[in-house]
Formats: sequence, structure tokens, C-alpha cells
Amino acid sequence: MIELNCVSKGYKLKGVRKQILDKASIRIPRDQNIAILGRNGAGKSTLMRVIAGVELPDSGQVMRSSKVSWPLGFKGGFNSTMTGVENIKFVSRLYGHDSRAVIDYVADFSELGKSLKLPVKTYSNGMKARLAFGLSMAIDFDTYLIDEITAVGDQSFKRKSKAVFDEKLSGRQIIMISHSMQTIRKYCSAGLFLEGGKLYYYDNIEEIIRDYKLMLAQ
Amino acid sequence: MKTLLLHIRILATLVLRETRASFGTSSVGYLWAIVTPAMSVGLLVFIFSLVDRQPPFGTSLAVFFATGILTIEFFNKLSNTLLTSFSANRALLNYPLIKEADTLYARTLLISATYVMIMLIFFGSLFFADAGVMPQNPHMVFQAFAATMLLGFAIGTLNAVIASLWHSWPQIEKVLTRPLIFVSGVFYLPSRLPTEAQNVLYWNPVLHCVEWFREGFYGNYNSAIFDPYYPIAVSLGILLFGLAGERFTRKSRSMA
Repeated sequence: MIELNCVSKGYKLKGVRKQILDKASIRIPRDQNIAILGRNGAGKSTLMRVIAGVELPDSGQVMRSSKVSWPLGFKGGFNSTMTGVENIKFVSRLYGHDSRAVIDYVADFSELGKSLKLPVKTYSNGMKARLAFGLSMAIDFDTYLIDEITAVGDQSFKRKSKAVFDEKLSGRQIIMISHSMQTIRKYCSAGLFLEGGKLYYYDNIEEIIRDYKLMLAQ
Repeated sequence: MKTLLLHIRILATLVLRETRASFGTSSVGYLWAIVTPAMSVGLLVFIFSLVDRQPPFGTSLAVFFATGILTIEFFNKLSNTLLTSFSANRALLNYPLIKEADTLYARTLLISATYVMIMLIFFGSLFFADAGVMPQNPHMVFQAFAATMLLGFAIGTLNAVIASLWHSWPQIEKVLTRPLIFVSGVFYLPSRLPTEAQNVLYWNPVLHCVEWFREGFYGNYNSAIFDPYYPIAVSLGILLFGLAGERFTRKSRSMA
């Protein structure tokens, strides 16, 4: 269960104030996979960072009673002067996993081979994304926060990612941001609509997609 | 209990990462970090012994300088390294388990462990080279080390907070701490200075740490200026400001 209690969050950029959340309260049940929808720039990624706990709300409370992942995306919090292996070791130690097993898993999945022994700054964006994705699939969480992660690499790698993703995340909760309605329909059963600083919970995925499309059509 | 274990695990992980980040991959890197300060003190002692300077106190020039310089270097290393910990560790904040203050603790632990090694090696080799003395009051040496650590941690924490609000602070801090080596009794015996000078130097908490260290090393040092409560009170006061500042500015720093 994740609960937002009267949460406000805003930014001031170059003198312009932007309110992402305005006293928003919501309870997200454990047994539903949730899609976060909202127009471009509404603050979906910020909302996800607030849920994860990497960004603090200006006021209000965020409560998590399960193990929630960091916001999984293309680029993890890698130290670019450290090698791939060192970054993997760091994250597995941090989450109390056996680093040997995690290294083997990520090496096998990411197909980075000897590059894992090189500093991350020598990696291409695709290699970084593979490392980030493999690493996030190697750590166990109750709830996975996924910010547009599903499409990295070439066709065969995409197929492989999808297989791992489906296998790993079955029985876990997913909270995801995606621009693909196909992906959302496939994984999510409920949704959160972010609009004008407020959050609206839909327990029917078709209804939220309909409202989202209506809003875009306006 | 579970949260305590979790916190210990997070700190241990961060210390390992810091070790790698500051000393490189090879074990030689860590060796250099230990040997370099020890060698720079050794060089200084060598130069001064060439001009035939008598130690201001005791029988060994090396022990007298080292108690001063190593204490100041330990303090400087803490306050300078903590200063950059918020900006250097931004990528880590992607992991919700890690809070910014943890990076301060991890750096403090690593630097302190490194300086324990530096001091053991330096004074140990002096002892075996027959130039040194054993500390007469070892418990006071430990106290002096702990007091220096507390002071460095407190000022380093405040430095980190100020630097995250004001980007010119690293340069200004450098200018402000430059005279430290001259006002901390490294090259002279503070007790032998005129009272007026002592009254001014009393305000420098690092000087008290140096004097504390020497009280521990020499049995009969009898510093005229040393007051153990002063550096501790200063540290606790600054630490209160530093940690409160960290708490109040946390939100503004978490903005991506």
C-alpha cells in the first residue's frame, strides 16, 4: 500500500512557479498495476520520484508499506568513473543482495561482456540502458516504478527484455509511465490521472484511457 | 533494530564506494593516500633538522611537528572533503535508501580510518627508528583524535550546507582556512607565547586539538592554553547549525 496524504509539490524555475501536486491525497492498493497518465509536462516523472522517496514533497506525507524500487529508467544513478561491475556491486550491496549472483545475472542479461570491466563513461547510451535495465531486474522489490523503460536496444534485445520483464514482474506490483496505450493496456489494471495538481484514481483502465484521449483531443 | 542494521549496511556500502572513488581501483592508491601525508611531514622534519633547529618541546622535532601537522591535516581533510559531498554525490540520490546526510557520515568514517592508519604508520616508524617516544597518556591521544574528528565533521557539515546554497563558498573557505597552520602551534610552543597572543589564539579550536594531542604524547606538556571543553563546545554548536541547516535546505537540494 502506498498512500499520499495531502501532498503538495511545486517548482520555481526562472521565476515561474509550477505546481505539480496541490494537496493531493490518494491510496494506491497493493493488488493493482497502475498507469500514471497526464498531459506532457504535468509532472508524471516528478510524481513518481515523490512516490519513490527520492524527492521530498513540500508538504504532506507519503507512506509506503512495501519495498518500493527507485524510479527505473534509461539511466540509473551510475558513477561514470566506476566500472560496470563496481556499479552493480554497489547497488547489490545497498539492497542487501549477493553481489556475485547479481553480477552474473546482469552480465548474462546485458550482453556487455568485457565492457563491464570498463568505466561507465566509456559506454554508449544503449549500453548504459542495458546495464540499467538488467540491474533493476536483478533486485527484488514489491513495487516497481517504471518510467518509460520498456523499449531499449535492437529487436532481439527488446524481445529478451520483454521476456525478462514479464517473468520478473509477474506477481509484483507495477506503477508505470508510458506513452504507449498498448503497453499500458497490457500491464495495468488501474490508473492515476494527474491534472492540475490533483490526482484521480480510476479502477478501470479503459475509462482512464478514454478520459486521457478526450483530454488530448480538446 | 532492523532499521539500525539497514543503516549500517547503507553506510558500509557508501564507505566502500567512497574508498573506490577517492583512491582508485588498485590497493596502491590507498597506500599512496596513507604514505603521502606521512612523507610530507617527514620532509618538513628533514628540512628543519638540516638548519639544526631544536624541538620547541621534548627531544624529537618529528614528534613535535607531526602532532601539529597531522592534526591539522586530519581536520582540513574532513572539512574540505565534506564540503563537496552534496555536489559530488548527486547521482546517488536516485536511490531512495540513501539520504544526503549518509554521504557525510560515510566520508567522515573513511577519512578517520585513513588517518588512524597514517598516524599509526608515522608514529610507529618513528618509534622503531628510535627517534620517537611512546605516548605517555594514550587515552588522551584517542580523545584528541576524537575531538578533531568531531570538529572536522561539524565544520565539514556546515561547509557542505553553505556550499550547496552559495557556490563561491569553496574558494572563500580556502582563503579563510589558509592561516590555520600558523595559528595552531605547529612550529612553536603556544605556552611560551605572551599572554596577549595566547588570549587571541585561544579562540582557535584546532589549536586546542593540537595541544590535546601533545598532552597525550608528552607526560609533562602542561599547556597553558589547553581547554578540552572549548573545542567540544564549538563543535557541538556548529554541528547543531550544520545539521539543522541540512534539514531545512534538504527540499531545495532534492530538486532535479
